[in-house]
Amino acid sequence: MTKSADTHCPYCALQCAMTLTSPAELTPAVQPGSVPVSAPAAGERPSLKAPLEVSGRDFPTNRGGLCRKGWTSATLLNHPGRITEPLLKGPDGVHRPIGWDQALDLAAGAVKDAQARYGRDAVGVFGGGGLTNEKAYMLGKFARLALGTSRIDYNGRFCMSSAAAAGMRAFGVDRGLPFPLEALDTASTILMLGSNVAETMPPFVQHLKGTRDAGGLIVVDPRRSATAAFTADGGGLHLQPLPGTDLALLLGISHVVIHEDLVDAAYIEERTSGYSAVVRSVNSFWPERVQSITGVPAELIRETARRLASGARAGGSYVLTGRGVEQHVDGTDTATAAINLSLLLGLPGSARSGYGTLTGQGNGQGGREHGQKADQLPGYRKITDPAAREHVAKVWGVPEQLIPGPGLPAVQLLKSLGQPDGVRCLFVHASNIAVASPDANAVIQGLRSLDFLVVCDFFMSETAAEADLILPVLQWAEEEGTLTNLEGRVLRRRRALTPPAGARSELWIMARLAEALDAPSTYSEDPETVFEELRLASAGGLADYSGIDYAMLDRGEAAYWPYPKGSAGTPRLFRDTFAHADGKAVMVPVAPRRRRTPAANPDPAATTMTLITGRLLEHYQSGAQTRRVAELLETRPEAKLQVHPAAAASMGINEGALVSVANERGEVLCRAELSTAIRMDTVFLPFHFPELESANRLTEAATDPTSGMPEFKFNKVWVRPAATPLSTNLLQTTEAS
Amino acid sequence: MSEQIVIVGFGPVAARLVDELLPAVRDGHVHLTVVGAEAEAAYNRVLVADLGVGRTTAEALALSDADALAADGVDVRLGIRVRRVDRARQQVLLTDGSVAHYDRLVFATGSRPVIPNLTGINPDPTSPVLPAGVTALRDLRDAEVLRQAVDGGKRVVVLGGGVLGLETALAAAEEGATVTVVHNGPHPLGRNIDRGGGAVLAASLRRCGVRMAGNARSTGVEHNAADGGFSALLLDDGSAIDGDLLVISCGVRPRTELAEGCGLSTASGILVDHRLRAHHEPHIFAIGDCAEVRCPEPDCARCRNAKGPSGLVGPGWRQAEWLAEYLTLLASGASEEAGLLPELPAEQAGVVVLKARGMNMAVAGDNAAEPWDEEVLTAGAGNGRARLQIAQWADPEHGRYVKMTTRGGVLEGLVAVGMPRTAAELVGLFERGAELPADRSLLLRLDGPDQLPGAAADPQGTVCRCAGVSGATIQGAVEEGCSTVAEVSKATRAGTGCGGCHEDIKGLIEKHFSPAVP
Repeated sequence: MTKSADTHCPYCALQCAMTLTSPAELTPAVQPGSVPVSAPAAGERPSLKAPLEVSGRDFPTNRGGLCRKGWTSATLLNHPGRITEPLLKGPDGVHRPIGWDQALDLAAGAVKDAQARYGRDAVGVFGGGGLTNEKAYMLGKFARLALGTSRIDYNGRFCMSSAAAAGMRAFGVDRGLPFPLEALDTASTILMLGSNVAETMPPFVQHLKGTRDAGGLIVVDPRRSATAAFTADGGGLHLQPLPGTDLALLLGISHVVIHEDLVDAAYIEERTSGYSAVVRSVNSFWPERVQSITGVPAELIRETARRLASGARAGGSYVLTGRGVEQHVDGTDTATAAINLSLLLGLPGSARSGYGTLTGQGNGQGGREHGQKADQLPGYRKITDPAAREHVAKVWGVPEQLIPGPGLPAVQLLKSLGQPDGVRCLFVHASNIAVASPDANAVIQGLRSLDFLVVCDFFMSETAAEADLILPVLQWAEEEGTLTNLEGRVLRRRRALTPPAGARSELWIMARLAEALDAPSTYSEDPETVFEELRLASAGGLADYSGIDYAMLDRGEAAYWPYPKGSAGTPRLFRDTFAHADGKAVMVPVAPRRRRTPAANPDPAATTMTLITGRLLEHYQSGAQTRRVAELLETRPEAKLQVHPAAAASMGINEGALVSVANERGEVLCRAELSTAIRMDTVFLPFHFPELESANRLTEAATDPTSGMPEFKFNKVWVRPAATPLSTNLLQTTEAS
Repeated sequence: MSEQIVIVGFGPVAARLVDELLPAVRDGHVHLTVVGAEAEAAYNRVLVADLGVGRTTAEALALSDADALAADGVDVRLGIRVRRVDRARQQVLLTDGSVAHYDRLVFATGSRPVIPNLTGINPDPTSPVLPAGVTALRDLRDAEVLRQAVDGGKRVVVLGGGVLGLETALAAAEEGATVTVVHNGPHPLGRNIDRGGGAVLAASLRRCGVRMAGNARSTGVEHNAADGGFSALLLDDGSAIDGDLLVISCGVRPRTELAEGCGLSTASGILVDHRLRAHHEPHIFAIGDCAEVRCPEPDCARCRNAKGPSGLVGPGWRQAEWLAEYLTLLASGASEEAGLLPELPAEQAGVVVLKARGMNMAVAGDNAAEPWDEEVLTAGAGNGRARLQIAQWADPEHGRYVKMTTRGGVLEGLVAVGMPRTAAELVGLFERGAELPADRSLLLRLDGPDQLPGAAADPQGTVCRCAGVSGATIQGAVEEGCSTVAEVSKATRAGTGCGGCHEDIKGLIEKHFSPAVP
């Protein structure tokens, strides 16, 4: 008998709709045991057929399409490397299976120990943007009530925090796309800044077709990315600024809008405040000056402004930002400059136009709303707001004083690991911080200096490998819950498969630990019950879910938050008002700041280049999952440094040659891939790979003063051919990983 | 205890200094007074020509808002000049009779237009009274004069072939005026550009509708207009160029008379050291167009090749940012830290980028040497110093010209006309002192129509990127019986992501089933 479930893809924020079909109820064929620590070896590759068949399902976002990651996602369900029993690291460094009772005792004991010796904040929690709404909500509650710590933050800090901070500042609320994705279909102009959707969320590209046909797709990217290549043949324009100059470019475009009288004056008057300060701030960024800063020809800057303005008058214009412009120490200001530009043109809140940021992680939207952020309570409430604390305390049935104050944002939290007054015992959920964090070498040192590290995962990720205790959890096809996609639409995740006997839901784990810690309030392990509580907790907040329930989602209703009880939800935000007290959007003047001078290149044999990092179509985030999918790994088995042929020639680097990419923080050894798609002074490295190929060994943990976003996309590196003959070690790593 | 800082002048550079000092003002460390002779707070002088041709509004030029500054506690005095600086008492005497004490005084007095010696024009260099129909296009009132001429479709004569003159001419011509540029030398931009670049530039200007009168020496102006205003520019060959408005664009000269009046050292500008301090006067600084960085040390290597003020706003803004940081440290009592603040690096030779629509030109550095000038190229070489190398490309027919003058692969000069991407890239390389690719033609290709790197070659012949399916796989599926896109998708997953390859798949199917041509 076949059994099927309608659900959504486990990976990115597009949350493509898919149907999982199994011939029968299968028990996954994995034998638990001690599993290899690092990248999967050849023998670990799955020989078994995936237990479920994946098919694309028609849905407004993906229209039946899936990318390779989605198509192959089911092979991970019965992957031989799956962890299916709690594993405890022995004194010899080897992880061995233990029972759940012992595992929970150990975890609870570690919490009590650390807190008895160092205080409550000595226990920390690191969450992830892949967790369902229910788990993200419960993680925040668990940290604050059961652990009593303020030290919780999550990997969305590395992802959405800059755009979120800018959106909050300008609009009073942050929903990635404040309009349904289909709105893009009919737009005549789309300005896409620092986002490579053709690789990161391929089915999204369908929504660009109309604009490409109209010649109105404008892509800003230092690389001729797959998305930028869509602008060829009359599809639009590609603006290729020097890395780190996006802010100046946006100020230049705004300058033209103002100087060529393309401003929507009535809109500015009625719907915004702060206009004249922004005008003064962009007046010194005329196109030719911006050309000198960014390398983008002045005429292209003007053309961009004019096309956006003409689209705003007819057809529709959208400004979309991605991590390429946001993952900088001035990421919040850059996103603000993009918002200011869209406000000058009257886009946000209009019927046909808008501004949005493209959320990255699967539940990157819902994950940033319900309390796993250091400064936040459910419903996108501020943890410092007395009314918000009062409301949430009431829902939780605890005195308000029991809720700790704001904690530390991710980079600071990770810097505090093992430090005096820092975190001594850490819980990690849905995150592979040993690969995905900036200055990864320092993070790994931090993990090793902890008294106790608990990692919840279903694979031996590089972070799990550092753990004292690994708790095996469920995969997407084995659980129920909700996620909120990049449009702010709440979606149902549905179970299609019985999980392995030894794996547990994180909700179950939190409930048991809360019990062991004598925590106040309640911790249900049933997702729907948790969602019902989340509804109450979010009611009246910015991200109000109180009108949404499982039944309506199961009926297929399109639920966009804010969705207060009794309303019909909000597909298109800001139509009448922005979420500030006076109903107006706030324009904040921003300007480029001088950057820290990087360390000098000490290696005369190496050339200083600018490093940008990013993603490949075949892999997702730290690669903990996709590197275990045979088909994806075979296509992209290793990190390759993308370098321009002219630069490569001057450095004596051939296609496929081993190169060393280093700076004061660390070194990466990988092969070179020559491509004219990149600037001659810039190199690109994907960040999906661990150890010697880990791009984040090179990224700096300097952060944006507003959002706490680290600098991922603008780091100086010293590149040279790898001097020594290959150690066999490296060869094995690169070939097998 | 807050420190009194007085800024003389309220142009773009002063505005930046004020902005950067605002945090210290808000913290109460600094009491700031800014004195501006014009009735308006700072505006962007660079764009006055745009205002003059009606392309922008005065609002869109504003850099500061007097009310907003006043609300922050800045003492803004507009329409007032400094009559005298009393260094002994550390105070400035203003034209409204008031006196302001200073702990630090910053000159940001900028520059004034050079008015050539022409019959019919008052030659007093410090307060030229220009006759009707003649303007130097420096402030908002000058812009209004130009505006009326352009709106009326009048004839505009631009005297001077510098970049500002050319920008004014191009903008006015595009907006409907009849424009003639009068310049000396065979081509505009004088020594900034080389012969080839100058020739292509002049031709391009003509194509844009600007009349070019080269090799011309002007001697006087004629006032025969109905209102007694300007009617023609007279040249030394006895000819005359008729017009309704004369725009004088013959460069600028630093305003130093106030500094001279209080005994400060000046050359072409007010002399300041590497910390922007006036010579032998720790309380006075100068920035922007009025300042000349040349320290009192006779054997300072950095000052050996120092040039006077550049007349460009970029260096002034960098000085303003630096000085704000320095003064903020001093005012907050961190004089030790202030002493440790690294000095401002020497400015690169100025980059000149033509601000115009539909025309693109950038020049920088020294472009005099030609590819075959063996003597010039080898002069100064030796002792480990490389010789000059020139790479050049000229296509006057299409208005394109590029010249790269390099030493050791690093640009010492560049000219790019009609090549926007190349120009942008070269300017970046010049400013960063970065090495050019050995094959210089790579840079020219940036402006080629075939600018499609990356997308072109895909070694595996991938048709569907989303699912990673090659053309060969699709052909295989078609050979095995798939005859629609949907069938191919089902068999291979091709076309199941973004759907962008459906046409390509269709093409492969049609190719398979189309009968072989006999």
